[in-house]
Amino acid sequence: MFNDNDCLRILEQAMSTTADFAEVFQEVTEAKSVSLLNGQVIRAATGFDSGTGIRLLAGTNSVYVYSSDNDIEVLLKLAKEAAAAIKGNDKGAIAELAALCSTTKTSVQIDPMSVSKKDYVDFLRKSSDYAMNYSPLITQVAGGIASTVRTARVINTRGVNVEDTTKRIRLSVEAIATKDNEKQSGRVAPGTMRGYEFINEYPIIEKTQECCDTAIRMVNAGYAPSAKMPVILGNGFGGVIFHEACGHALEATSVGIKNSYFTDKLGEQIASSIVSARDNAVIEGEWGSYATDDEGNASSDLLLIENGILKNYLVDELGSRRMNCRPTGCSRRQNYSYAPTSRMSNTYICNGETDPKDIIANTEYGLYATQMGGGSVDTSTGDFNFAVSEAFMVRDGKVAEPVRGATLIGKGQEILKNIDMVGNDLALSAGMCGSISGGVPVTVGQPTIRVSSILVGGRE
Amino acid sequence: MDIKTAENFMDKLVKAGMEYGFEECEASFVTESSMSIDILNGEVSSYENSATSALSFRGLKNGQMGYCSTNILDDSNIDYLLKSAMENCEVLNDEDPQFIYCDENNKNLYYSQLSEGFSKNTYKSFSELGLKLEKAILALDSRIDAVDFLTITCSTGPYLIINSKGLHSYRDSDGISLMASARATDEDGSVKSGGHYWIGKDIDDFDMDKFLKKFKENLIGKMGAKSCKPGNYKTVLKCEAFQQFFMVFFGNFMATTMQRGLSLLADKEGEKIASDIFTVREIPMYENALTKIPFDDEGVLTTEKAIIDKGVFATALYDLKSAYKAGRSSTGNGFRGGSAVSEMPTNLIVEAGSKSYEELLEEVGEGIVLTDLSGLHAGVNAISGDFSLLCEGYLIENGKQGRPVEQITVAGNFYEVIKSIKSVGNDIINVPSGEGEFFTPSVYIESLAISGDEEE
Repeated sequence: MFNDNDCLRILEQAMSTTADFAEVFQEVTEAKSVSLLNGQVIRAATGFDSGTGIRLLAGTNSVYVYSSDNDIEVLLKLAKEAAAAIKGNDKGAIAELAALCSTTKTSVQIDPMSVSKKDYVDFLRKSSDYAMNYSPLITQVAGGIASTVRTARVINTRGVNVEDTTKRIRLSVEAIATKDNEKQSGRVAPGTMRGYEFINEYPIIEKTQECCDTAIRMVNAGYAPSAKMPVILGNGFGGVIFHEACGHALEATSVGIKNSYFTDKLGEQIASSIVSARDNAVIEGEWGSYATDDEGNASSDLLLIENGILKNYLVDELGSRRMNCRPTGCSRRQNYSYAPTSRMSNTYICNGETDPKDIIANTEYGLYATQMGGGSVDTSTGDFNFAVSEAFMVRDGKVAEPVRGATLIGKGQEILKNIDMVGNDLALSAGMCGSISGGVPVTVGQPTIRVSSILVGGRE
Repeated sequence: MDIKTAENFMDKLVKAGMEYGFEECEASFVTESSMSIDILNGEVSSYENSATSALSFRGLKNGQMGYCSTNILDDSNIDYLLKSAMENCEVLNDEDPQFIYCDENNKNLYYSQLSEGFSKNTYKSFSELGLKLEKAILALDSRIDAVDFLTITCSTGPYLIINSKGLHSYRDSDGISLMASARATDEDGSVKSGGHYWIGKDIDDFDMDKFLKKFKENLIGKMGAKSCKPGNYKTVLKCEAFQQFFMVFFGNFMATTMQRGLSLLADKEGEKIASDIFTVREIPMYENALTKIPFDDEGVLTTEKAIIDKGVFATALYDLKSAYKAGRSSTGNGFRGGSAVSEMPTNLIVEAGSKSYEELLEEVGEGIVLTDLSGLHAGVNAISGDFSLLCEGYLIENGKQGRPVEQITVAGNFYEVIKSIKSVGNDIINVPSGEGEFFTPSVYIESLAISGDEEE
């Protein structure tokens, strides 16, 4: 990492023309991972990277330069090029630099990087051995553990001088069942910012069995029907629909340029009155949490929707200039090769009051989606699509036969208004979110909810 | 980092690797310089400039290949690289032999394809073009509210591999890409978004009129779209949609996927898997491709070949490891996408038919043409070939492109689709894909299930 003096030299060079703000982001990451397939360790990798990004702003005009070369002369040259490209009116000021502040949380008991890859392999082998002997239908089992430690330092012309180290670890298990030409899989992929103790405590056999059961159920299932119908979305990863269809449309990245269907809707009813939602980056140990964002701001617990009313957007520095409001501490990036922007952290629909059993009992006919695959959304039109990886039909208030191959499509702004039941079984689930500042760890979540009508695209 | 400094470091690293106890070892280095501008509301809203490099080391010990990567090319980092790679060898237990290779007759591989026009890629030239283009897009139709996304990027970089068997391989490439998308609002308040892209090697080759024509079709053509009746439709997958569709399932043509039991094409080489009129070739040095690839990242020379020849699965793609396992030779498709070598295609070409896009629609008569598929990362079962995807397009009425449709899904199975190709068009597009590009026309599929909610 640079000393304060080197950082100031870069800032001075960056501010030598017409920028009103400049920021130096320096990052060092170390990663290690192992992957098993059918009991064989087929991949073991280690990586160590570092780099620096320099951002200049003049109003809403931005310039971003970055390099994997941390040589101060290389960066001064880049800062000079950046200063020549910025389009502002006046020369900005540089505030006195604060003393370096570390915001690193120390809740990790066992550092995942200190655990040997052999221990990773031994853990995964338990899952692999169990699954391979579970049923003749299970033909492939994959597993992996990946850990990273990332130290990011942010220094800017407002005097911010912060450093934060985050450690994350993610486990994945996938079982594949085969029947004739059909293959279906069951998968879990929990992630955490707790230490390796999370892995030690994880009920790996129980979860591996669940993966096998899902794969076997789905390989034996018939195709989902095609029709508009009530859809019950299971808790946990079911929240990916809210993340895609609502969360992205609340980011300044789209709201700031009026590319979102939620632009200028603060204080308005955008969802059913039984829906409240938060983006909470301060939950200790959660996969999508962080103490300091990639602009050096403290993270926050942000109320997005309260009883259906839109309360807040997710706003970064550039977005705050476009929207004339304060940043909310949500600016993130995959690494130094991306300029930061507004992103989600742990985003979820809050608990309601209904027992999930009653949601099913009150549904005469519909689809119960218990495991979701991924999906995507166009924030300007609201068009979304999601793949369902495990689903059942609901008939006469009871869970009936499993069905496969369903896709849910619709408009985000409509689906939020059509949520007519919210359960009390909130759960969070880890994922990776991709956007213009790269892939960042997030969690999605919700209790079991029911949407009165969604178009299910199946094959029958 | 300049290539000479990197080369010296790599020589030292490979030598140190052999002394450390690896049976064979290899270092690869890639460096990339890129520049991009974004245009928003009549201004250059953002400018980016970068220089990044990455080094990857791999070493063979007791039949296992350990990898380690870094971007810090410092002598003090050599021990870290070697130690980490060796630790990785120790935990691996891959049963299949792996190789660090050098063809005695092709020890020094060199291919440079940097374009003379690259120096024209400046902040000034990009911003002038971008601003002019934004203005022209807004002038296309009064319903266009904004060009939300307009970015022009260029990048260039060499790629060097040195190994203990004597391989010294160098190749480079450069290119420009332009992407734009806009948003338009109809009289009834409904919003549509759409856009277009261009890739090339010389900014002067950009044809604004041609781009705008296509851009307008992709955005304004969709205005007023609504769902359609569910049912089985004769379906044209327009070139863009067919490209997305085919590439999602292309992993099934890789030998490693087959050997792991994750492709239904395993043991089907030589068998009929697709319609008689469907041929897909891999031409690494294809004259129309922006990037030509004479050798792969394992030091194997690439060759021209049919993957599907008149419906027959001619060959899978092999790297050295999967080829050894299958008892044959590599097809020159071993590339280091991330850091580990795996099979990747170079330039893929779907053989064109004789009909234009309009003639394909005439042949269909009544049906649907799909122009965009969404959710390909999730809505497909890559193994079974099943898919159910959100899509957009137009109805085909009386052999002509009819009204636009949206909020529909298309469902089916990849293997059934390639068997039921009735006609192949000649409206070829090229899209970056794998290590090179994918060239494809539109194709006519006999029948696909469409789900929509328009009343009967």
